[in-house]
Amino acid sequence: MKKAVLYINQFFGQIGGEEQAGIAPEIHEGQVGPAMQFAKDLDAEITHTIICGDNYMGTNTEAAVSEILGMLEGKEIDLFLAGPAFQAGRYGVACGTICKAVKEKFNIPVVTSMNVENPGVEMFKKDMYIMQGGNIAAKMRKDVTAMVKVANKLLNGEPVGSADEEGYFARGIRRQTWLADGKPASERMIDMLVKKLNGEPFQTELPIPKIDRVPIAPAVKDLKKARIALVTTGGIVPVDNPDHIQSASATRWGRYDISNVDALKGGEYKTIHAGFDPAAADADPNVITPIDALKVLEKEGFYGSLHPYFYSTVGTGTTEAEAQRMAREMVPYLKEDNVDAVIMVST
Amino acid sequence: MKLEIGNFYVRDIVFGNELSLKDGVLTVNKEEALDFIRQDERITEAELYIAKPGDKIRMCPVKEAIEPRIRPDGRGIFPGYTDDLAPAGEGVVYALKNCSVLVVGRHWGGFQDGVIDMSGEGQKYTYFGQLNNIVLVADTNEDFEKHEQQKKNDALRRAGHKLAEFIGACVKELTPEDTEVYELEAAIRRDPEIEKLPSVVYVMQPQSQMEEMGYNDLLYGWDTNHMVPTFMHPNEVLDGALVSGSFMPVSSKWSTYDMQNCPNIKALYEAHGKTINFLGVIMSNLNVALDQKERAAQFVAQIATSLGADGAVVAEEGYGNPDADFVGCIVALEDAGVKTVGVTNECTGRDGQSQPLVTLDEKCDAIVSCGNVSELIKLPPMETVLGELEALGRDGLSGGWADDEILGPSVRKDGSIIMENNSMFCGDQVCGWSPKTMKEF
Repeated sequence: MKKAVLYINQFFGQIGGEEQAGIAPEIHEGQVGPAMQFAKDLDAEITHTIICGDNYMGTNTEAAVSEILGMLEGKEIDLFLAGPAFQAGRYGVACGTICKAVKEKFNIPVVTSMNVENPGVEMFKKDMYIMQGGNIAAKMRKDVTAMVKVANKLLNGEPVGSADEEGYFARGIRRQTWLADGKPASERMIDMLVKKLNGEPFQTELPIPKIDRVPIAPAVKDLKKARIALVTTGGIVPVDNPDHIQSASATRWGRYDISNVDALKGGEYKTIHAGFDPAAADADPNVITPIDALKVLEKEGFYGSLHPYFYSTVGTGTTEAEAQRMAREMVPYLKEDNVDAVIMVST
Repeated sequence: MKLEIGNFYVRDIVFGNELSLKDGVLTVNKEEALDFIRQDERITEAELYIAKPGDKIRMCPVKEAIEPRIRPDGRGIFPGYTDDLAPAGEGVVYALKNCSVLVVGRHWGGFQDGVIDMSGEGQKYTYFGQLNNIVLVADTNEDFEKHEQQKKNDALRRAGHKLAEFIGACVKELTPEDTEVYELEAAIRRDPEIEKLPSVVYVMQPQSQMEEMGYNDLLYGWDTNHMVPTFMHPNEVLDGALVSGSFMPVSSKWSTYDMQNCPNIKALYEAHGKTINFLGVIMSNLNVALDQKERAAQFVAQIATSLGADGAVVAEEGYGNPDADFVGCIVALEDAGVKTVGVTNECTGRDGQSQPLVTLDEKCDAIVSCGNVSELIKLPPMETVLGELEALGRDGLSGGWADDEILGPSVRKDGSIIMENNSMFCGDQVCGWSPKTMKEF
């Protein structure tokens, strides 16, 4: 049988209330407190229960995590459970903290449960399955049942359903899925349309998330002294595309030395971007990456100096997450050369 | 305007001596059909195959799908494109149902081409996995684009449209099994009972982003890049006025088959007189420049309000840049007081964690979502490949790649594949078929 470990606080560990919240973590063989409730239907044996004071975890987080990871080192564990934490804020944050650490260290699934009002939800929902739990301990049986349902799927290698189906907080992941009833988009469209027209409640299939807007940077104070760099998502690369940047859904980028050229020549550079008509950019790559104009303006003293490389990737179909990662990888080169401003050329 | 579509159900397809449909069995004289296709001198190599549900067949690079049809009165089925210009949407057209003509490149593919599996795990990813297909696999002398990632595929696509009419001709003198009637009178002065219902327009945004001619969807043969939105009768769309192009990552594409059968239009017809008053179609487009996007949205909102529409449905044939046209159009309609539902797919990344559309607006509060273009799909080898599977990794198909440090090549030595949904042929079915949705995990 597979093996699981449960994390609970001093209260549910039957050590004491607030006066015991400062206790350091301890590990008990077997099942303490809620562990017995879990054990009824869990497809794994709960071999150990870890108990830690909420204040200890809150104020000595690094020590607490390190002590607990040490206790687990060398043990056979297939699943880690914490809570349920209900609306208890310190307990929820503790459950999230230790679940995240255990998941990262041992690469095993973790499951916890909190009430929507628990601050731990916002802090950790993207990192793990947090079941949508009750607000008070009277909901213990219900919350444990929900945790066990998902935990058993993870233990048995079965697919875990969507956040709505399973009752966990959405982790910021959107995936395509086949509807059980196979209801085509056209019929869903009519249902939604008629409800909207009649002022009845309806459920969109794409809730509009909070928009990630980047504030516009302040103007460059003294352009005459500024060091300028050029970055593009237009896919301009040397003709042999040495960094194998993909033509769509890019995950790669490259930087190319322009210190000794006055302009990018067609035939030496081209675009590998598959989202627009490449004819003009292939004939004259400067229409995407205006090295020619920048070199002239540099000589004329219009601005200080040009960073000796331009940076390129492809924007079409490229996800925001990949774009952010690539930018994070480019930034150190720009900082190292004291670049003051970047011209970002799209297509 | 009244359109009668006489349906002939194809239950099997065989090759034989005479082009005919008897007891649901479509017989195709292969050599006769190939001779017809070779009349276009650009076709250098051509072969016909049959691909039915359950067959162990994978097709790549698939370029187009068309429903075989014929007009008993002699008018062409794609006026202004393969046939003389004439009004569509009125009269009688015969259609071979559960059946499509698929066009597959013998060798070369491109950004806009895709994959269809007829059985196994991959079958469910496209609508055409469940149809009886006549498959034209051909090559052309269009050397100017042989190694281009963006291909017009003109000779191949036209061959498909013509072949669909050539095959459809076998039912010209027969009596259909059943007939669908699509009739919608003038948008004003309708029956008072119908006018009591909320009135609705269907706004179509077909693919029209290429500035150069030859890639975009065509409206009576006219490049949809060269138009501003206009009001149309839905029957025109169901009757071949709109023909699919060759540009977008293919899971977002509406094939000509999808347009001929547009499920969103049929659903609006079905609701007409019961829960809505279906006014008609506003044919918009998708543009690359911001002023073009704004102009189109402005036209759509004006036409909708001039018609007195209470509601609208907007559907886009594309993702990424076209999301701006899609969201802009919905916002313009909502600002004009028209309650709007959008139909689209999403691009949330292989990990599902990216922003679903490139631009978002809180006014888009009613969206039907049909899939994630960047979902990774792994499929085992298939016994038979029609076309050239290597094209998926070699020719810049939007969901394929030559190599990757972690995932390896899209096309593996044993014939198994790993790809993004982007290259599933018309996989996201925003035209209305889609049994997929997007959920939070």
